[in-house]
Amino acid sequence: MKVTGARELPIKPERAWELLQDPAVLSKAIPGCQSLVRIGENQYELKLKMLLASLSGDFLGKVTLTDHEAPTKFRMIVEGSGKIGFLKGEGVLTLSSILQGTEVAYDGEAQIGGKMASVGQRLVDTTAKLMIKRFFKKLVKQGFGQDPDVEDEEETDDV
Amino acid sequence: MIPNSFEYSAPASLSEALGLIAAGGKPLGGGMSLIPMMKLRLAAPEHLVDIGRLTELSYIRESAEGIHIGAGCTHFAVESSALLMGKCPLIAETANYIGDIQVRNMGTIGGSVAHADPAADYPAALQALEATIVLKSAKKERKVSAAKFFIDTFTTALKEDEIVSEIIVPLEAGLTGTSYQKFLQPASGFAIVGVAARARREGGKISLIRVGVTGLSGNSFRATKVEAALLGSAGTDAEVTAAAAHATDGADASSDLHASAEYRAHLARIYTARAISAALSRTA
Repeated sequence: MKVTGARELPIKPERAWELLQDPAVLSKAIPGCQSLVRIGENQYELKLKMLLASLSGDFLGKVTLTDHEAPTKFRMIVEGSGKIGFLKGEGVLTLSSILQGTEVAYDGEAQIGGKMASVGQRLVDTTAKLMIKRFFKKLVKQGFGQDPDVEDEEETDDV
Repeated sequence: MIPNSFEYSAPASLSEALGLIAAGGKPLGGGMSLIPMMKLRLAAPEHLVDIGRLTELSYIRESAEGIHIGAGCTHFAVESSALLMGKCPLIAETANYIGDIQVRNMGTIGGSVAHADPAADYPAALQALEATIVLKSAKKERKVSAAKFFIDTFTTALKEDEIVSEIIVPLEAGLTGTSYQKFLQPASGFAIVGVAARARREGGKISLIRVGVTGLSGNSFRATKVEAALLGSAGTDAEVTAAAAHATDGADASSDLHASAEYRAHLARIYTARAISAALSRTA
């Protein structure tokens, strides 16, 4: 599955770069991240508990950040597996300066297998997009020194 | 497969059910989405509170506000309701398109709406109808518009202690025509794309047009650009086709084994034009 897209972040590229390289920030931005522990140069062990409505699953994996061209480009490699399936993916993130702040373009390829993929194929793409959206939202919040876990109160027309 | 063990309660009243849900229970409607996920161990709720059996949630009745559909109504109850067929046929027509007859006999409108599957059928109709979703917890009741209720894939305005208790759809005035058109994935019956249209014509001009789209992206939405392009026009075939080209504006089309993003977007434009044409043809 291709994972490509771009998001606009209302922060400067240098700041976005710092945030994306900081494991403390990443651990709070990755949806469902339980822990992100450094195991080597630019390599981290990731424990994830995915929660989406009534879906849930635990993952244990490895994240590697490589091919750094600060502050515009790096490669991210993610491998992980859990009871409900496995995930292998890598992609390049490119940061560029735009009027509103930074555009982060990502271009990668992910392989998803196991139960999750065989029964949830129809939902893999939409779920991945939702996770990416949440990740960048939580990243930007930290860029502004806000607590990423405080959800915005959704505006609803209460009676 | 066999799910993880869990506790099961079948409360006799809605207030008892809401109490159990406030204490951490997971509401179960008809079980057409949750039970398969539990069997595959993709979901493992510890305590299920069965609200699908509550007669208190199973009703379809009319008031000045519109038609109230209790969350416990099965899709079959919705598609076969004489009241809905007569006064809000879009929701009945949409229910008829869901899954197969076995699913429609078990699945409930409240369960489907609360689950918010990105390819579910109801959201398109509820968006086009500008329906209201009534949410209830042990503490309070509130109303949310469909546009604000559906937030993203599997994500709604529901809080943890709340259930969907009722859907309110408007009473359609004369001269309003509606239609739901769906391109379905034959094995699952889910919409690859589904488009609901609602139109009114006065003096030969379109005076109201609402278009709801499901399946195209991670969330259902109102195709407001299509609506704006058609409002005030005569609604000729050429105008409808040109307007329908905007159905995918700003949408991040999904891609899976059954349809690439490009193909899905193409289908969305075609089915938008079909739904609008069918709705217009029923405005007499």
